[in-house]
Amino acid sequence: MGAKGFFTDTTICIGCKACEVACKQWNQLPDDGFALTGMSYDNTAALGASTWRHVAFIERPVALSNQMADGFSWLFSSDVCKHCARAGCLESCPTGAIVRTEFESVFVQQDICNGCGYCVVNCPFGVIDRREDDGRAWKCTLCYDRLKDDMTPACAKACPTESIQFGDLDELRVRARGRVEMLHEQGMQEAYLYGDSAAAQPGTEGLNAFFLLVDKPEVYNLPPNPVVPTKNVGQSWLSMAFAALGVAAVALGSVAASRHGGAR
Amino acid sequence: MKTDGRDIDPSLGMLLGEGSGQQVKRDDERMEAVLPLPWDKTPTVSETDPTYYDRPLLKEPVWKIDIPIYYFLGGAAGAALALGAAVQLAGDGELQEFGKRCHWVGIVGSSIGGALLVHDLGRPMRFLNMLRVFRPTSPMNVGAWILSGAAPLAITAGLFSNRQGLLGHVGSAAGYGAGLFGLGLAGYTGVLVGNTSIPLYQETRRLMPVLFLASATASAASILDILFEDRRSSKITFIFGTAGRLAELGCGFAVENVAGRVPQVAKPLHSGVSGALWRTATALTAASLVISLIPGHSRSRRKWAGVLGALGSLALRFAVHYAGTASARDPRASFRQQRAKMIA
Repeated sequence: MGAKGFFTDTTICIGCKACEVACKQWNQLPDDGFALTGMSYDNTAALGASTWRHVAFIERPVALSNQMADGFSWLFSSDVCKHCARAGCLESCPTGAIVRTEFESVFVQQDICNGCGYCVVNCPFGVIDRREDDGRAWKCTLCYDRLKDDMTPACAKACPTESIQFGDLDELRVRARGRVEMLHEQGMQEAYLYGDSAAAQPGTEGLNAFFLLVDKPEVYNLPPNPVVPTKNVGQSWLSMAFAALGVAAVALGSVAASRHGGAR
Repeated sequence: MKTDGRDIDPSLGMLLGEGSGQQVKRDDERMEAVLPLPWDKTPTVSETDPTYYDRPLLKEPVWKIDIPIYYFLGGAAGAALALGAAVQLAGDGELQEFGKRCHWVGIVGSSIGGALLVHDLGRPMRFLNMLRVFRPTSPMNVGAWILSGAAPLAITAGLFSNRQGLLGHVGSAAGYGAGLFGLGLAGYTGVLVGNTSIPLYQETRRLMPVLFLASATASAASILDILFEDRRSSKITFIFGTAGRLAELGCGFAVENVAGRVPQVAKPLHSGVSGALWRTATALTAASLVISLIPGHSRSRRKWAGVLGALGSLALRFAVHYAGTASARDPRASFRQQRAKMIA
C-alpha cells in the first residue's frame, strides 16, 4: 500500500493525448464530442465528469531559456485530479461518499453520492463535476480498480514519454527534485515543482498528483496559491454564531419592547 | 474461453463499467458551455496577466434556482421560528396567537424549502444519505441535520404549543428547540456559500453568514407584516424588521467593500445580471426601510413595506447565487485573489 500518486513532468509531454484516450477506454467514459474549441489544438477544453485527463496546449510567444529558436515555445501539460492531501471535495461531502483510499487517493463511492453538487464548488482546481444524466459527481479514481490489482493507472501506462509517472509518492518526489536539478543544469532555469509538498502548497497540504512546470501556474490554468475552503470553515461558523446571537437578542428585545408600549 | 479468433476476449470490450452509460451534452451545447466567449484575436499568453485562453479555472455551481429560493424560504422560516421562541420566552398571553403564526411561517418555509432542496439533488431519492455522517467541515451536511431537526420541531410546536397539559409542554419545548434550530437554518446557508472555492464567496466567507441572517430577519418580519395584522404584533415585527433591514443594507455594503479589496473579485456585484440584482435588492430593501419608518400607523403602508422588504431579500439571494456563478467563470478573479494573498 502506501501513498501513491502521479508526477507529471510537463517538459517531456508531447501532447499526444494518449492519456486521455487510455483513461476513457479503461474507465469506459464516453467521448464528449468532437467539436473544435478554436482556441488551440486543445479540443477537450477542461476536466469534467466524463474527462478525467486533459492535455493543455499552450502556445507562448516566448522561448524557453535553453531553447535555440526564438520567440516561440509550445507547452503541454496533462492535467488530472490532484488527489490533494487535504481534499476540499472530501471534506465538504455531506454524505461521506468521497473517501480516502488505502493508496491515499480521493475516491467517490458512486453508490452513495446523492448529487448535491457541493464538491463541485469546493474543488479549488475545478476538477470534479456532476454527471449530466444521472446527477452523480465523477472524477479521476486514480484507477482504483487497477491499483487493487497492482497495476499502473491507465494514463501513466499509456504515456509514451513517461511524462506521467506513477509510483510511491516518496520516491516520485525524490525523482522530481532530481529532474528539476537536471533541468537547471541544462539551462532551463524556469523549471519548478507545483504542489510537491505541504510546504510548497500549504493551502492543500500538498498534492498527490503534482507537476513540473516551466511557467506561472496560471498559464496552465492552475491556481497559483489554492486553498481548500474547508480549511477556513471555522471562521464562517464563528461569524454565524455571533450573528445568530445577535438575531436572538433582537428577537427577545423586540418582544420585550412591545410590552411597554414600544416604538409605536 | 471462446474468442473471436484474434485471441481477444470479447467480454473485455463490453461496456459494463459504472462510467459507461454516461450521456453527455451534444457537441454544440457543450462548446457553448465551455467557451466563455468567441475570441476575436489570436490567442496568446500574456506575460503579466496570464490565463489559459480565458477559460474558467473553476466549475460553476450546478445548483438551479431552487437554491436561491430555498435560501430565502429557509432563512425566513428560521428567523420566524427564532422569533416564535422569543415570544414564548418573553411574551405574555396576548402574544400567544402571534407566536403561533411565527411557528406556522416556520413550518411552511422549512417544508417547502426542504422539498426544493431535495428536488435540486442529482439523486433526490438519496437525500437521506446526508444523514449517514455528521461533518462540521461540510455546512451542507450540518444543514441537512438542522433542517431535519427544525421542520419536525416547528410542526410539533405549531400543533401543540398553545394546548393544555402534557401536549402543551411538549409543544412549548419543541418551540424552544425550533427557535434554536431556526437560527441555524437561517445562518448555515451563509456558511455554506462561504465555504467554497468561488473567489467572491471565499473572500467574503466571514460576512456571508451575517448577511444571510440579516436578510432572513428582514424577510421573516416582512412576511409576517404582509400576512397578519394587529397592533401589538406589529410593534414586534417593526423592531425585528427594521433591525434586519438595517443589518442587511450594512452587511451588503461590507460585502462590497471586503470583496472590493481585489476589484476583480467584486466585479459580479457591479456588472451583469448579478450586479443588476444586487442593486435592485439594495434599492428594494432601502425603500422598504424608508416606508416603514414614516411615522403614524397605516395598515397598507406596513403591507407595502413588507412586500418591498421580502422582494429585496429574495433579490439579494438571487444576486448572491448569480454572482457566484459569474465569479466561478472568471479565472482572473481566482488568480488575482490568490496572488494578492501571496504578496501579503
